[in-house]
Amino acid sequence: MSMQLSKDPLNVIICGVGGQGNILASELLASALVEKGYFTTVGETYGASQRGGSVMSHVRISARKQYSALIPRGEAHIIIGFEPIETLRVAREYGNSNTKVVFDPRPNYPLAVLIGEAVYPEIEAIATELRYLCGSVQILEATRLAQEAGNAQAANILLMGALTAMPEIPLQAEDYSQVLSQRFKGDVYALNQEVFDLGYRQLAV
Amino acid sequence: MEWMVTAKEPGKTFLMQGNEAIVRGALEAGIRFAAAYPGSPSSEILTMLGHVAEEMDLHAEWSTNENCAFQACMGASMGKIRSLCVVKQNGLLTMGDALHTAALSGCWGGVVLLVADDPNAHSSTNEFDSRHQARAAGIPLLEPATFQEAKDMIVYAFELSEKLQQVVMVRSVTRICHGRGNVTLGELPSQPSQPKPIGEWDKLIAINWFHDLLWAKLDQAQAAFEDSSFNWYTGPEQPELLIITSGTGWLYSVEAVDTLKLDDRVGILKLGTTWPLPERLLLKYLEKSPRVLVVEEVDPFLEHNVASIIGHNPGLNIQLYGRHKKSALPQSFELNPDVVINALASVMNVTYQAPQTGEVPAEAVVTIPNRDLTFCAGCPHRASFFLLKQTLRIHEGNGVVMGDIGCYTMGGNRAGHFLLQSIGCMGAGINMGEGLGQLSRFGFGQPVVALAGDSTFFHSCLPGLVNARYHDSNMLFVILDNSATAMTGFQPHPGIPVNCMGKPANAVSIEKVVEGIGCPVAVADPYDIEATTQLVYDLIKKPGMKVLILRQPCATLAVRSKGRRKVWVDPELCRGDECGCGRFCSKTWGCPGNIWNYQTGKAQIDEVVCIGCGVCASLCPAGAIKVEGGQA
Amino acid sequence: MPGGMQLKTEVLATSACALCGACLDWCPYLKNIEDHLVLRFDCPVEHGRCYSVCPRTLTDWQAVNGRYMAGVPFDPDIGSFQAVYRVRRLQPINDQQDGGTVSTLLQTALAGKMVDGVLVTGSGDPLTPQPYLAHHEEEIRKAAGSRFLASPSLRKIIEAREKGIEKLAVVGRPCQVQALRKMDYNKPSDSPALDVLSIGLFCMWSLAWPFKDYLARTYPGLTFLRMAIPQHGVEVTTDEGIKQLSLETVQAYIRPGCRFCLDMTSELADISVGAFEPEAGWNTVIVRTERGRELLDKASAGDVLQIEEYPADELERLRRASHNKKVRGLKNIKQAVDEQKITPFVDLSSSPYQEIIAESSAKEGY
Repeated sequence: MSMQLSKDPLNVIICGVGGQGNILASELLASALVEKGYFTTVGETYGASQRGGSVMSHVRISARKQYSALIPRGEAHIIIGFEPIETLRVAREYGNSNTKVVFDPRPNYPLAVLIGEAVYPEIEAIATELRYLCGSVQILEATRLAQEAGNAQAANILLMGALTAMPEIPLQAEDYSQVLSQRFKGDVYALNQEVFDLGYRQLAV
Repeated sequence: MEWMVTAKEPGKTFLMQGNEAIVRGALEAGIRFAAAYPGSPSSEILTMLGHVAEEMDLHAEWSTNENCAFQACMGASMGKIRSLCVVKQNGLLTMGDALHTAALSGCWGGVVLLVADDPNAHSSTNEFDSRHQARAAGIPLLEPATFQEAKDMIVYAFELSEKLQQVVMVRSVTRICHGRGNVTLGELPSQPSQPKPIGEWDKLIAINWFHDLLWAKLDQAQAAFEDSSFNWYTGPEQPELLIITSGTGWLYSVEAVDTLKLDDRVGILKLGTTWPLPERLLLKYLEKSPRVLVVEEVDPFLEHNVASIIGHNPGLNIQLYGRHKKSALPQSFELNPDVVINALASVMNVTYQAPQTGEVPAEAVVTIPNRDLTFCAGCPHRASFFLLKQTLRIHEGNGVVMGDIGCYTMGGNRAGHFLLQSIGCMGAGINMGEGLGQLSRFGFGQPVVALAGDSTFFHSCLPGLVNARYHDSNMLFVILDNSATAMTGFQPHPGIPVNCMGKPANAVSIEKVVEGIGCPVAVADPYDIEATTQLVYDLIKKPGMKVLILRQPCATLAVRSKGRRKVWVDPELCRGDECGCGRFCSKTWGCPGNIWNYQTGKAQIDEVVCIGCGVCASLCPAGAIKVEGGQA
Repeated sequence: MPGGMQLKTEVLATSACALCGACLDWCPYLKNIEDHLVLRFDCPVEHGRCYSVCPRTLTDWQAVNGRYMAGVPFDPDIGSFQAVYRVRRLQPINDQQDGGTVSTLLQTALAGKMVDGVLVTGSGDPLTPQPYLAHHEEEIRKAAGSRFLASPSLRKIIEAREKGIEKLAVVGRPCQVQALRKMDYNKPSDSPALDVLSIGLFCMWSLAWPFKDYLARTYPGLTFLRMAIPQHGVEVTTDEGIKQLSLETVQAYIRPGCRFCLDMTSELADISVGAFEPEAGWNTVIVRTERGRELLDKASAGDVLQIEEYPADELERLRRASHNKKVRGLKNIKQAVDEQKITPFVDLSSSPYQEIIAESSAKEGY
């Protein structure tokens, strides 16, 4: 099977708020890709930013060579957002008019909003600006779906399921399942697999 | 993943974090001793070595501070086994004296010092360049440019260390340590190495006589580096511009050349051995290029050393660009592909246009609120800062609070009501407090309060506490004990009864240490804001040196074992915007679990975020916040 | 009506606060320890209850007086009153102050079901006032005896309302009585009224809490049992006898806010009670409103109180003392306002304040 990618390097950004499982999600995705034979580099923001701060993972996939851990401005092909305003922040910086965006509309309120010093924008307004900025925008209620499936904390896995279904990603659902089973056992594995499948179905054609 | 770093599958390729690759390299090199102090971006290295310690039959420890860690490695080296010391840039300075004397004494078993710098200070107070210390101390320096090199260089570093009988520094940065990429495994040793006996006349002594020997070792390293497989050149025979680069600079430079389509005009000399510099190798390429751009993180270290070589070779006529005086690159902050692309475009006088987003009409542009750092939901520091702030305001004495390094450093911003009035390095709180507290004899009447976390306490406050007690400073020292080195990832410290290898350890009691030093010490629960406020108020009124331990486990850690209690708001009782509340929970208490429902106009608990500590319930003036099982 | 931030700038952060406690316990921003009362965090509410009940924010006292003392003859020195008596208990109780009248009135109010709760300051350490709500006569006995350290006891009003007490008797200092009247006067129309029967105390000043530390330093190891201010100085009763303190020593601990007070006899109370200077063991009682009259009548019906005519010359002395307090207070207010240290809580350009100020500046050495 040809290893060729639609874009090489293929640049994916997974973004959200510290604590949403951004790092686990990107690690699983990238591991599955390396298993498949691709060069994959992941760049993370860790540490202090985890304390409720903005986080993003840059995932760079290539059939030819290892790329640096950061994506240049405007070069993201796909943006997966765990949180609406983080998605918009990332899209403005790294998106272009062809970028595909999928995001979870559930807000995570920054401190400034909680104390009433700033207003959280309307989700529709965020989606509207995203549609101007990028090529395609899809809203996916990952947290709600994951909550209904039994664990709101697994929204990140659900979104990885959705991402895997996108044609640009050279992975089949089984490829991801393999890395899930390497890392989780028993009930935890079963729940994560269920949530992954649920996400995959949202975007599979 | 532990199973990755211990896998007996040479030739297998995994996605590994840079820190994992370093661990794998250390295991392939057959280390049996590892010591470190937590510090981003390096903390995962020792954590993982602790997890695999039993399987791989090695000793791993979170030492009390970097000085202990490094000198412990030097001690292990006397037994002729290989040891790895891991620090971040700040920690390197904590062990600065130890490093210089070790360079003079040399070592027996290989000692590799892995220093993880944090360009941009993503998780640090400041960014600075550790490579200067390698040059200052006179030890060889390696810089990995990829995740594969992060592993391979560790293996080589140990070989070099034993060949030279010298400490070797490997300098990594955040984008390598915390990034992930393809790493192909090598072989693990079949047998663990055994300590060798030390004879009566075998001595490891730092003495200035050895200074010339130190230089001689550097010359040996230089000779080895001339042929190192970590250095290579790609590009045309006679490049218009030569890029000299190390570390993460390499991949950014490659991408910049590709993006600007300059691969037939620009050559890249990638160096993995950056002190001492392989001069012959450098001269070979310098002679061919009239213009040189040096791309590196954080300081123009490589650039200045290259400039030195150019200066010592009067025949060369080279225009040098880099970070020095911002001639091509910024002086501060992290590199990324855009910075390097723009620098290269400017030096080569070509234009570059990044791909653009679509146009957004002005009315569709959304105002995005900033995301300030704050304490996690349930964090005991939120309670500590709240009660300290209110107590000092009630006391009306303009109390001054000196901060220190940890999660609680964020108490200097909105999350902590801007309480902190000084932030230095680790241990600065108590020491600055001691000094300021002495001014009461000159009529300075403001109460002095100094903070430190439990891990910081052991790391650097012990001498400060002795000092403050001995000199009887007028101050209140508050130890925020959340039973973890939380900011860096919840590592254990000497106060925790289980060590990084999962084994029981002789936990040291903070209050017994304080009592042993002779200070009166009180212990209180920061969650009990009412009672602890009164206690702090009473303590501030007393003269002399006082210690208060505010003890409550880190919420993010505790929730993993204890689970969450359900907390909710009764909207009938909630006063919200009206007099008697004014959104006190979300605005003033500020926990991410307390949110405002704009539809109902009432407070609400975000159940995904809330961990159930119940402190907000104790503060609600209307008693509208309810806790499952009643408040404990 | 402004809110917490203005209360802070105009009252709490200046020396004007009387520590009545009316602003506390409803809202989470105001908090006290001992006699430090502050806005602990910034309040975002624009119109606040705190400001409207505070006796040290600008108030039209004549209007307030007109509402609650309608039909009662007005006296410019000691406020509106019907009659003045000297009163004492026929059977003294332990720890009673002077004639024990206040305790008796409270017991009467409870027993006669004029109220279903009483707010007193007492219990615990005799020198550390702790306010509490009493429902039974025994609890009142425990509260007997004056406290000279200021306590923000009105904070308990909120608790009374929450406990479902509909009619409350409150013993308070003049500033506290003022606050109680403002609570009713400025009450939002949709909020239920708390029926308060006020027993106002005579007060020259109250002391700041560092006075306790002074006593502890000066008489280390002693237990303090009570305090009294007979004419010849200050007496502190300890477990090792009575200690005499000079008035000057004690006056160094007077709360700064007390220096602006214009009310010696609790002019807005239903009934006011103080010491009777010429003879120990008696109280001066000023009956003002109908409710005050009703309370005294009920108390005297049971043969518990001895009620006598008030000597005319003593009434003159009382008037003069009260007037002099107004003169001093206004002088201090004017000076502090001129130095921009406080915001005036009376309109200095209106009657009778203007006249009294003129009077004080005309007199030398005041």
